Amino acid sequence: MSVASAPPARIPRFTGWLGAAVSTDHKRMGLTLGVCSLFFFGLGGVFALLMRTQLAQSNMQFVSDNSYNELFSMHGSTMIYLFVTPMAIALAMYLVPLQIGALRLSAPRLALAGLWTWLCGGLVMQQGWFASGGAGRAGWSSIAPLSNGTNTPGVGQDLWVIGVLLAACGTLVMAACVLATIARRRAPGMSLLRMPVFTWTALVSVLMVVASFPMLVLVMILLYIDRHGGHIFVGFAGAIDYQDLFWFFGHPVVYVMFFPYLGAAAEAIAVNSHKRWFGYTAFVGSIMAFAALSMAVWSHHMYVTGGVTNQYFAFTSTALLVPAGIEYFDAIGTLIGGAIVLRASMLFALTFFIQFLVGGLTGIFVASPVLDYHAFGTYFIVAHFHYTLFAGSVFGFFAGVYHWFPKITGALLREWLGKLQLLVMVIGTNLTFFPMFFLGNDGMPRRISRYPTHPGWGTLNELETFGAGIIALGVLLFLINVVVSLRRRVPAGDDPWLGHTLEWATTSPPPPLNFEAPLPPIRSYAPLLDLREEALDRARERREVGPA
Amino acid sequence: MRGGAIPILAWGTILLVLTIGNWVWDDKPVNGAAASAAVVIIYSFGVAVWLLRREAIRRGPPEPGTEIENVPAASLSAMVIGLAVGCALFGLVWAKFLLYFGIALFVASVGRLVLEVRAERASRRRVLEERELR
Repeated sequence: MSVASAPPARIPRFTGWLGAAVSTDHKRMGLTLGVCSLFFFGLGGVFALLMRTQLAQSNMQFVSDNSYNELFSMHGSTMIYLFVTPMAIALAMYLVPLQIGALRLSAPRLALAGLWTWLCGGLVMQQGWFASGGAGRAGWSSIAPLSNGTNTPGVGQDLWVIGVLLAACGTLVMAACVLATIARRRAPGMSLLRMPVFTWTALVSVLMVVASFPMLVLVMILLYIDRHGGHIFVGFAGAIDYQDLFWFFGHPVVYVMFFPYLGAAAEAIAVNSHKRWFGYTAFVGSIMAFAALSMAVWSHHMYVTGGVTNQYFAFTSTALLVPAGIEYFDAIGTLIGGAIVLRASMLFALTFFIQFLVGGLTGIFVASPVLDYHAFGTYFIVAHFHYTLFAGSVFGFFAGVYHWFPKITGALLREWLGKLQLLVMVIGTNLTFFPMFFLGNDGMPRRISRYPTHPGWGTLNELETFGAGIIALGVLLFLINVVVSLRRRVPAGDDPWLGHTLEWATTSPPPPLNFEAPLPPIRSYAPLLDLREEALDRARERREVGPA
Repeated sequence: MRGGAIPILAWGTILLVLTIGNWVWDDKPVNGAAASAAVVIIYSFGVAVWLLRREAIRRGPPEPGTEIENVPAASLSAMVIGLAVGCALFGLVWAKFLLYFGIALFVASVGRLVLEVRAERASRRRVLEERELR
């Protein structure tokens, strides 16, 4: 495919920081989005540490009640709107065009505008800390009527609403660009069932974003009007309507925050097992069904309101087990008989599957209305979603980072530091989140800044705070690893892991138009593995027929 | 492009089945409306891809193309559009002058974007003409 570039006389060249800021290259946009998301991850982590310090002992006075409300609201909002979701889009934006053999992203200007809209959203949301009355403090979901102008007055909550609105619009636009890229820009030979596993997971994620994020945009507009005298979410019916609309976005986003990391872990497992991903077609079918079902379960967040049809939502929520089971089956099938290499990326991927299992299995409990009545509003729920989002997605994210870092930078990360980070993070994660199941089962409510002296609660909370510190140490080790690896570079080469997919067929880092050499023939979802297997077959044939 | 609309329409159809289930089982209009809106959005996207190129609905791998396409390397106006939207909405809460400034910036950057796109199209035309001459 030929390429024409714009004349330099009309469009000036930009270099340095400004060059990165205005670049419409999907790789630079993906990197900018990823780095900004990581910044927000750090910020959200600091909020979490402050919260855990407050909760280390009963009746602590480390922060005020109001500040605690701000901290947990901004922690959840920062992590969901500004880290896990955009990081999933960042991975997709960087990798999808490379994996499908495309020169570029579709509608790159739109994606760039979306990126800056999202970043403005993040900054506007954090501006609340400088507002009189503080930042948004009605939780990451800001349920009405708690979040209306009477119950949560102040500019901080308005800034939260506008911040979420901007972040949602930006994410939606970027996701639509990734979707259009997959639909329109696959390389010759790249049929749908020859797309890599990660690309499929990115595809279902962006489908969910396109279908569900408009609802978040609508809800934020309505909430803003409501807060300024609109009286939209009034009374019991208003509260239920808000929740119905919000959770229509709020549950699918959990899977937006899961699928790309699942794809990253799957790629790491297949490559480090030197095998094709087992049950590819079943996997594709299962994630399509998984994504669709995840858009039909939203009211399981509302069982206790008494305003939902429990049977329908309990059925769809429990049915999620079937596609999830297929994914686990595929992962195990890939490992069996593989020539397994336990690199840091592989260990993070395996840990992703093991840790997510805890979140998934406890999800079955809370999918059942009778069990949810007991667990709702307690630390059991906090433990459940942190096992899915932190112990799950974040470990999948690190599997992806260790797998693709050499492709992105051309340098290898230090393996021993990666393994040390994994060990520290596994200890920290389980120390922080596992005791929450016991606390929740014992009735400790979430979103409280102080709790009464109660047998066992103090010790478990102390353990959690200690664990949160260990997680922070793990993240610090990762940052050290990145800095050390970039300063004292160990060149990675183009394909250090013997990868399966097209991104490993180009240079590390890839050139501006992704591929300088012609693409290899695409006859399956693992074209580079095909080439190696063909070469091996030819070598075997030569040995059989050649002179002894 | 080939087959690009298929997963989008297929997923829309699965959503449609679940939406019908929701309408039957759940009598709340808000739920049905939300689920139906999602189906409409996904179908619209799928149909748009289909209308763009008819082969988007046909199965099979994409074939090699010989089209010349523009690859924009940078776009100051796209970045400023994002900033302008952020500035305007921030101004809605914080200070009204930022709202007006954001709107003005938005209009100016859309103008600049038109110039960028026109320059790109001119470049493409020139390459096509050179190719024809050769």
